[in-house]
Amino acid sequence: MTSFAISAQHLARSFGETHALVDVSLDVPAGSVCALLGRNGAGKTTTVRILTTLLDADGGHAQVAGFDIATQADKVRGRIGVTGQTATMDELLTGHENLEIIGRFTHLGAAVSRRRAGELLQQFDLVYAGNQLVKKYSGGMRRRLDLAASLIANPEVLFLDEPTTGLDPVARSEMWEAIRNLVARGTTVLLTTQYLDEADQLADTIVVVDRGLVVAQGTPEQLKASIGRPSVVVTLVDADPAALEKVRAALGGEAEIRGRSVSAPAPDGLVSLGDVVTLLEGLGVPIHEVGLEHPSLDEVFSTVTHRAGDHVPGLAAEVPA
Amino acid sequence: MSALTVAVPAQNSVQRGVIDAYNATRRYLIRGKRQPDIIFGSVLFPVVFVVLFGYVFGSSITVPGGNYHSYLMSGLFAQSTLFASANVAVAVATDMNEGVIDRFKTLPIARSSILIGRAISTMILGLPALAVMIVCALLVGWRPENGIFDAFLGFLLIELFAFALCWLGILVGLVAKSSQSADVLINIPVFLLGFISNVFVDTSKMPVWLRIFANWNPVSSVVAAGRSLFGNTIGPPPAGVWSLEHPEITTIGLAVVIIAIFVPLCVRRYSRTSR
Repeated sequence: MTSFAISAQHLARSFGETHALVDVSLDVPAGSVCALLGRNGAGKTTTVRILTTLLDADGGHAQVAGFDIATQADKVRGRIGVTGQTATMDELLTGHENLEIIGRFTHLGAAVSRRRAGELLQQFDLVYAGNQLVKKYSGGMRRRLDLAASLIANPEVLFLDEPTTGLDPVARSEMWEAIRNLVARGTTVLLTTQYLDEADQLADTIVVVDRGLVVAQGTPEQLKASIGRPSVVVTLVDADPAALEKVRAALGGEAEIRGRSVSAPAPDGLVSLGDVVTLLEGLGVPIHEVGLEHPSLDEVFSTVTHRAGDHVPGLAAEVPA
Repeated sequence: MSALTVAVPAQNSVQRGVIDAYNATRRYLIRGKRQPDIIFGSVLFPVVFVVLFGYVFGSSITVPGGNYHSYLMSGLFAQSTLFASANVAVAVATDMNEGVIDRFKTLPIARSSILIGRAISTMILGLPALAVMIVCALLVGWRPENGIFDAFLGFLLIELFAFALCWLGILVGLVAKSSQSADVLINIPVFLLGFISNVFVDTSKMPVWLRIFANWNPVSSVVAAGRSLFGNTIGPPPAGVWSLEHPEITTIGLAVVIIAIFVPLCVRRYSRTSR
């Protein structure tokens, strides 16, 4: 038996001439959060639709909650929760009715469905709106209700397709909070996102997809490290060109002047920061701040997706042939 | 794996299928109740038709040896089943473009249940309109001449046919790319079948090619079955047209055949995972 809640090998899917998925493999350990990160059209939603049995793959295979998505689809459906990109709540039903109907369709029975609906409304701060038609809900309320609906039968694996796209910052952080609470209860989550900070905030592992391929995967820290070296940034008290040039020359060939700062690659972190300080002391230039700057996930993202596009093997953890 | 597993009562797949269909029906009925404008429209429509065809056109149409209003009503009852199927097509196409169907597909329910729920709820939600239409018919002078029991059988046949046509509507709704295209697609058969028939006039005065179509038109059989059971038949059926000579059997047979063909087609189309 595998300890992966989701395990996919070489998933592929085309729509006519469009190769939405070329080769996507991923393993998500039980109880962890995996973020599928990519631009629009990268293949994130297609991957989720395949893993949630909404779409057949052309190639590859996958197990979700220990069952094969192709041959045991019904078993998979009984163990997953899915919150799609589009709102899936019925506008003409109340929040409570929506949750209850999903519970009934999950074969919980009428009484348990009603009880769970009440519990979930409480859990997602929607009790006050439970008897209102969803038509009257705000975007954030709809997303929370949608997430609640996915949890009606306490699924082992939860799929969230762009759970915060289009939400305002407050609703977004509420959604993050709700997701974190779920993870604390041991639910495995696969979420897709275009937002790096979202992946960074929520995920244990990140799988970067681009044009239907996995172009990088690892923990957020590994991905940041893979893009390489942090930089030493020296900021001067004022933007004196002569002083800046002095510092640049001292830091070596790769150093660059940016405003009143000079930055240079720092291959081995703190050791070279010490060297820099020693070096700067000899220059007699007024220094405001010396620091290390780590590459952001944004840089990782644009680097790996750019590399994949140019068919150059990346630095990243994994690049399929 | 999760410590918070919710107990799921054990049921076999047939029981579950029935429960799923019941829940789907219930959902559509709740929705139907929340759209009073649609129910109002469905009730108003037959009233308009009875007035329009009964008086506006009916005033200059005479039927030999009979009352045109009585003759017409069976036709209007049958025709309303066609319009109902057109409404279903549009509603299903609208449904398919909403995320809620995707969610249903990720739930462990019988694939047919949502469609069965749609069909059954359509029949139930259509009952007020049928009732209003019967009242209108009675007001303009239509009478079930063969008694209540035969009239009941007549409506039962018409409703059976309506249920069958509902599946035609569902299929069109599933195949259509949008609700607008469903509307266009379904109205082609609705108008051809609804008007090139014996709904409004006797087919004997139509040109030959039209007459052949009208006589063998399934809707004509349903209308003839209604007239026969309501006791509103005028003159003998066209010679050599088996379906009009035995309209009741033809209607039942047609409904069964349509259901047997269209239900599996609909379920297959719905289940197809790729869009």
